[in-house]
Amino acid sequence: MTKERVKEGANKALFATAAIICIVAVIAIFVFIIIKSIPALSKIGFFNFVFGDVWHPDGDDVYAEALAGQYGILTMIVGSIFSTVGALLIGGILGFFTAVFLARFCGPKVKKVFGSVINLLAGIPSVVYGFFGMVVLIPFFANFSSTGDGAGLLVTSLVLGIMILPTVVALSRTGMDAVPQELYEGARALGATHEQAVFRTVVPAAKSSIVASLILGVGRAIGETMAVIMIAGNSAEFPTGLFGSFRTMTANIVLEMGYAGEVQMGALLSTAVILLIFVAVINLLFGLVVAGGKKDKHGKKRMPGIPLPKWLKPAAIGKAISWVCAVLVAVFLAFIIGYIVIRGVPHITPDFLFREYHYGDDPAILSCIVSTLLLVVVSIVIAVPLGIATAIFLNEYTKRGSKFVRIIRSAIDILSGIPSIVYGLFGMLTFVVWFGGASSILAGGFTISIMLLPVVIRSTEESLKSVPDMFREGSFALGAGKVRTIFKVVLPAALPGIMSAVILAIGRVVSETAPLMYTMGSVIQPMPDGVMGSGATLAVALYRLAGEYKYMDQAYATAVVLLVIVLGLNLLAGLIGKRLGKKFQGEKNVVRKKKENK
Amino acid sequence: MLFAKRKKTSEGAASQAARTGTSAPVGAETAQAEEQTSYEGDICVKGADLYYGDFQALKNISIDIPEKNITAFIGPSGCGKSTFLKCFNRMNDLVQGCKITGEFRIGDVDIYGNIDVNELRRNVGMVFQKPNPFPMSVYDNIAYGPRTFGIKKRAALDEIVERSLRQAAMWEELKDRLTKSALGLSGGQQQRLCIARALAVSPKVLLMDEPTSALDPISTGKIEDLCLELKQDVTVVMVTHNMQQAARISDKTAFFLLGDLIEYGDTDEIFDRPKNKKTEEYITGRFG
Repeated sequence: MTKERVKEGANKALFATAAIICIVAVIAIFVFIIIKSIPALSKIGFFNFVFGDVWHPDGDDVYAEALAGQYGILTMIVGSIFSTVGALLIGGILGFFTAVFLARFCGPKVKKVFGSVINLLAGIPSVVYGFFGMVVLIPFFANFSSTGDGAGLLVTSLVLGIMILPTVVALSRTGMDAVPQELYEGARALGATHEQAVFRTVVPAAKSSIVASLILGVGRAIGETMAVIMIAGNSAEFPTGLFGSFRTMTANIVLEMGYAGEVQMGALLSTAVILLIFVAVINLLFGLVVAGGKKDKHGKKRMPGIPLPKWLKPAAIGKAISWVCAVLVAVFLAFIIGYIVIRGVPHITPDFLFREYHYGDDPAILSCIVSTLLLVVVSIVIAVPLGIATAIFLNEYTKRGSKFVRIIRSAIDILSGIPSIVYGLFGMLTFVVWFGGASSILAGGFTISIMLLPVVIRSTEESLKSVPDMFREGSFALGAGKVRTIFKVVLPAALPGIMSAVILAIGRVVSETAPLMYTMGSVIQPMPDGVMGSGATLAVALYRLAGEYKYMDQAYATAVVLLVIVLGLNLLAGLIGKRLGKKFQGEKNVVRKKKENK
Repeated sequence: MLFAKRKKTSEGAASQAARTGTSAPVGAETAQAEEQTSYEGDICVKGADLYYGDFQALKNISIDIPEKNITAFIGPSGCGKSTFLKCFNRMNDLVQGCKITGEFRIGDVDIYGNIDVNELRRNVGMVFQKPNPFPMSVYDNIAYGPRTFGIKKRAALDEIVERSLRQAAMWEELKDRLTKSALGLSGGQQQRLCIARALAVSPKVLLMDEPTSALDPISTGKIEDLCLELKQDVTVVMVTHNMQQAARISDKTAFFLLGDLIEYGDTDEIFDRPKNKKTEEYITGRFG
C-alpha cells in the first residue's frame, strides 16, 4: 500500500505546485510593476508625477541624464475618475432600476429571458462597445457639441455605463432575490402596496449587494481601456464639460507603451501603479461592504416600519422608473446589437472570411481567425490545468477557513480586479522579452493565461464547493483515497460547472484586446507562423479596422463575427451550467422527502 | 489484490454462495496469509476520549461489541453516539481539530495504530443518514469500491454487483436499471443502494448512522429486514433515534448521554430492566 501513499503524495505535490505557481504569478506582477516604476518615480518625483498636469514625455529621456520631457498624470487621474463617476451615474442608475424591475416587477418569463440576455451582454468585447460609441454616439452627439466633435466625457460615460450594466444588474438582482420572502410579506401584511414593500423593504434589505454591485461596476469602468481610447479623444488634458478630448490612465498606458523610451516606460509603469492603487482601494471597499452586509444579517433582524401613506407616491414613481429603465436598457441593447448586425452582415463575404491576406490587400480576416484559435489553444492549455489544479488544492487539500488559504483567495481576487492593460504591460516587458523580443502568439497566450487564472480558479472552486460533502464522505467510507475521490467522484460531479467556466474563459480570450496589442500583434497580418509567429486576434483587428476609416464595412463585419462567436460561447456556457443543476436533482428530491417526513 | 489479502472463512463464503446463488467471490481461493492481522472478530474499545478542539465529546468510553450481531447506539441528539460510530472507520480523521485517545480494536487490528486507513474503511463499511449515491449509474456506484481496490475485470465486477444487490435484496428491482443514474431512484432505494455499495467490498463491519431517519416507513421496514439478514455475515453497528427500531432489531444496545456511555447490555435487558435511572427515563420518556 506504500505505492498508494506515494501516488497520493505525488498528486498533492502536483496540486500544491500549481497553487504556488499562481501565487508566484500574482506576486510577480505586483513586484515587477512596482520595482520597475521606482526609478521613474524617483527621477520624476512622486509629487510631480501625481500632481503634475503636463504630460509631455520625451522618448529620448534616460535615467542617467536630466529630463527633457514632463511627466505629470493629474489630467489622467481626473479623467479616469470623471469618466468612472459618469459611468456610475448612468450604469448605476439604469442598472439598479433594471435590477429592481427584474427582481420584483416582471413575470417569470420576462425575468428569465431578459435576465439572461443582460448576462450575455457581459461577454460582449469592449472593442465592440467602443466601436459602437465611435460610429454611432460620437457622430450623434457632435450635433450638440460646440466644437462639432462628439468625443469626450459624455460619450465615454455612456459607453462605460452600458458596459457596467450587466455587472450591476446581475449582482444587485441576486441580492434582491435573496431577500427573505417573509420580509416582503411582513410589509404587505402591514398594508403596504407591492411597490412600497419593494422600495421600503426589499431594496433596503439588499442594500449591501446593491452597493457591492456598484463598486464592482466602478472597478470595471476604471480598468476599461479599449472602449475608452476609441471614444475619449485621448489628449492629455483635463476633461472640460461634456465634450472635449481627455485621457484616462489606462488609455495613457496603451497609447504609448508601444514606442516608449526608458523614462517614458517607467512613467507608464508608474501610471499602472497608481491605477493599481485605485483598484486596490475599490477591492478593499468591496470587501468591507460584503463583510458589513453579512454582519447586518446576523446582528439585527428588524421588521420593516409601518408604511405611511405619504410613501405611496415615491414608491409608485419608483415602479414607473423601473419600467422606464428596463425598457430603455432593452431598447439600447437591441439597438447596439441590431445596428452592428444590420450594418455588418452584408459585408461578411466568403472573400472577407476566407481569402488569405497579404500586406497591401483589402483586409481579410482568415489569418485573424487562425491567430485567435491558436491563442485560445495556447492560453487554455496553460490556464485551465493550472487553474483547476489550484482550485483542487485550495478546496480539497487545505483546511477550510485557514488563514493561509484566505490569503491566497484574496490574492486571487486581487488578480481578477487588475485592469487588463496592466497584464498587457507586464506581458510585453516579460514574456515578449523571454520569447525572443518580438510579439508572438505564445507571448500573448502567456499574458492572457495569467489573466484567465483567477476566473478559472474561482469558478472551478465554486463548482467544487457545490459538490455535496456527502459524496466525498461516501467515497472515503468505501476506502477510496483522496486522489481517487477527487478524480472519480468530485471532478465528474463538478464537470459541467468547470466546463462552462472554461467556455467563458474562451470567450474572454476572444474578446480581450488591450493585453494582446503589444504582446501578440497589433495589425492584421498574413497567416501566423505557428505559435511563435505574431498575429492580430479578431478583437484587435476590429480595433485596427475601426481606426482606419477606409475599411468601415470590414470593421462592421468583423464586429458581427466577434459578436456571434462570443455570444455563442456564452450561450453554450449557460446551457452546460444548467446541466449541473439537473445532475443534482435526484439529491434535491431526497431533501424534499425528508422535509415531508418531519 | 483486494481479495488476495482477505482471509475469508470458507464457511462465510459458502453461506453467502448458498444464499445468493452465486459462486464465491473471485480470488477467495487464492487467499494468502501475507498479513497476520484480520478485522474479523469483536470490536473492543478501552478508555476512549474524543475532543473537538477544547470540547470533550466522548468521555472515557469502554465497550465490547460482539461480532455478527446488531448493536444499537441510542441517546438524545448531541450525546456523541454518531461521533463514536465514526471512530470505528476513522471518519473523524477528516474533522479538523478532532483528537482521539484510547484503545480501539477491531478483530486483532489496533485501528489507530500504524495501519492503512483505506484498508480499514474497506473492512468497516458505512451507511450515512442521508442516502449519498454518487451521481453515476447504479452499476458504477456498486463497482466503485471494488474498482478502488484494483478489480478491473468486467466479469468480476458484474459478479460483485449482482451479489451485492442480491445481498441488499434489490437485484430484482434494479437488474434492468443498472445503467441508469442512481440519483433517479427513490430515497429508500438510494439508501439500500448505498448499503449494497458498502457490501460490495465485503466488509466485516457495517456502520449505520441513522440509516432510516430520512426514509418512509416501508423503506425503513425493508432496511431493518436487510440488517437482520446481514448480521449472519457482518457486524452491524447502528445509530438510531428510533427506540422501536433499536428494540426490534438490535441484539445489544448502548445508551449515550452527553458523551458518556451510561448503560450497555442486551437489548432486552436495557429496554425491560434498565439498571440506570437515566436510561429508564430516556426510554420511558420516548415510549410515552
